[in-house]
Amino acid sequence: MTTIYLVDDHELFLSGVKAELSERFTIAGSSTDVDDAVDRIRAAKPDVVLVDVHMPGGGGLSVVANVIETHPDIRFLALSVSDAPEDVIAMIRAGARGYVTKSIDPNALADAIVRVASGDAVFSPKLAGFVLDAFSDALPVEADPDLDQLTPREREVLRQIARGYAYKQVAQRLSISVKTVETHVSSVLRKLQLSNRHELARWASERRIV
Amino acid sequence: MSTTIDTNGEARPERHQIMSGRITRSTSDRFVAGLAGGIAARLGIPSPYVRAAFATLTLAGGFGVLCYVVGWIVTPDEAQYGSMIEAEHPPTSGRRLGLGLGFVGGLVFLEAAGLWFGSVVWPSALFFFGAALVWDRSSRERRERLAQFAKPPDDGERRSRSQVFVGAALMGVGVVVVLASLESFQSLGPVAIAILLTATGFMLLFGPWIYGLFADLGEERRARIRSEERADMAAHLHDSVLQTLAMIQRTDDPQRMVTLARAQERDLRTWLYEPEADAGDGSVAEEFQAAASKVESDFDVPIDVVVVGDRAIADHERPIVAAAAEAMANAAQHSGASSVSVYVECSDGVVDAWISDQGSGFDESAVPDDRKGIAESIRARVRRAGGEARIDATPGVGTEVHLRSEPR
Repeated sequence: MTTIYLVDDHELFLSGVKAELSERFTIAGSSTDVDDAVDRIRAAKPDVVLVDVHMPGGGGLSVVANVIETHPDIRFLALSVSDAPEDVIAMIRAGARGYVTKSIDPNALADAIVRVASGDAVFSPKLAGFVLDAFSDALPVEADPDLDQLTPREREVLRQIARGYAYKQVAQRLSISVKTVETHVSSVLRKLQLSNRHELARWASERRIV
Repeated sequence: MSTTIDTNGEARPERHQIMSGRITRSTSDRFVAGLAGGIAARLGIPSPYVRAAFATLTLAGGFGVLCYVVGWIVTPDEAQYGSMIEAEHPPTSGRRLGLGLGFVGGLVFLEAAGLWFGSVVWPSALFFFGAALVWDRSSRERRERLAQFAKPPDDGERRSRSQVFVGAALMGVGVVVVLASLESFQSLGPVAIAILLTATGFMLLFGPWIYGLFADLGEERRARIRSEERADMAAHLHDSVLQTLAMIQRTDDPQRMVTLARAQERDLRTWLYEPEADAGDGSVAEEFQAAASKVESDFDVPIDVVVVGDRAIADHERPIVAAAAEAMANAAQHSGASSVSVYVECSDGVVDAWISDQGSGFDESAVPDDRKGIAESIRARVRRAGGEARIDATPGVGTEVHLRSEPR
């Protein structure tokens, strides 16, 4: 059974998620603060860590960054009330394999965990929208075209996800296999994490006009 | 900032109107006609400085008297006009600087214009303002405030006494040299030294207090901004979140609770993350969000909106939003799906919107002719706006409506 670890500073939310997921997953532990989480995740070596984005002491971002440095095969699924683009993009860039909002229903959350555990990426419709948005501009001159551009097929897959279709439905609608959909989504995730285009950062900050 | 307590005992902070526009002649702060007091209250600076300015202008060709008389004639008396709200904001250092520079500029202009009584004006100006500062400092409220914020650094009493002594001595020397140089006039040197000495004495005398005054004002301003922000947030939470929580507690229907919670969440998110959402000409995303919120609250079905390439909406695209709202309402009302997805893509000239649900779907040919929802509210409306509507419905699988605006 897949082992999971939960990091969230809201005790109430933690216990709720534990109750929902305990039947389908082995829960390796949980933490409510960043430092504790980093040490114990390294010791417990779970398959997937569910990590909140906003926490005192550096937030989910520093948990992901610190653990991935020493344990690159532990996978992270970001779980947050915020769907602000800069949070989403920052978590993905730090190495999270997916991002879902806390309003997700328990079955969808369980599916997302399974998907992340098997090495795939999880894109919510919102995240797909952000990525399409960020990669839509014309290419900067010095950009690496392999990384800074989505293929037409990847774009089409993201569009379908943004329209609210599950991977299986996307596969049906585009007449491709679910595996192919997963491959496209994973390669988009990789581009998102490796791409060094400045636009990505600028786009994220522009979205939030403070 | 005040707080009124309503009948439920809940605190409801209110925001204040800070300043009114008109200058009135002050009844409480007057020497001649109250004009200086009124101007001071309007500008938010202590009145002795305004008086010093008038006095200096009077030396400069009698200009001050002229100004005062004109001001007296054109301003109403406070008693007739109604009490003016005193300016609550102390002026920022930028504004102080601006007022000061403006005044000095005025003097230089008058000098250039020839309305001048000779070099006595500059030292006098220094003196008037020095006197104003002393006068101002002696008012009780100021003294308390200064005592709190501008204590001389260490062993205060003795040091400040020696400062007073040295400062007064330097000022005295400065005055003597000024008077001497008035007679001779031959060179600029003594005047410069005099001004330097006077200024040094002045700074020794009043430097710590002036510094303290600025620190004090800055601190006050920060505190006020903080408390205003807190009050703003409290007011918002009171009006929205608390109300929603109250409604949720009184609702038995779980679906209704979810809808209320979602509507509140959306509202709070908008408020937290998009504080400067401009009113008026909405963006495409705002328009679709607004339409979705309305349908969501009408039919209790969550609607997820994703917009890519947001920009300002053009007039010929508004019918697309209206048609999309109709499609959302249809999906929410008839499909039985637990949620509706809306995906919008904006490019330079076109808006594309997909409204999809994974509900019961329907057979469009089986829809009776008297039902106008699709024919009129979606297809015809979009066609009139020059766009296209495509409806893709499969019984048992779901429905997708694709709307596209006319390319420009």
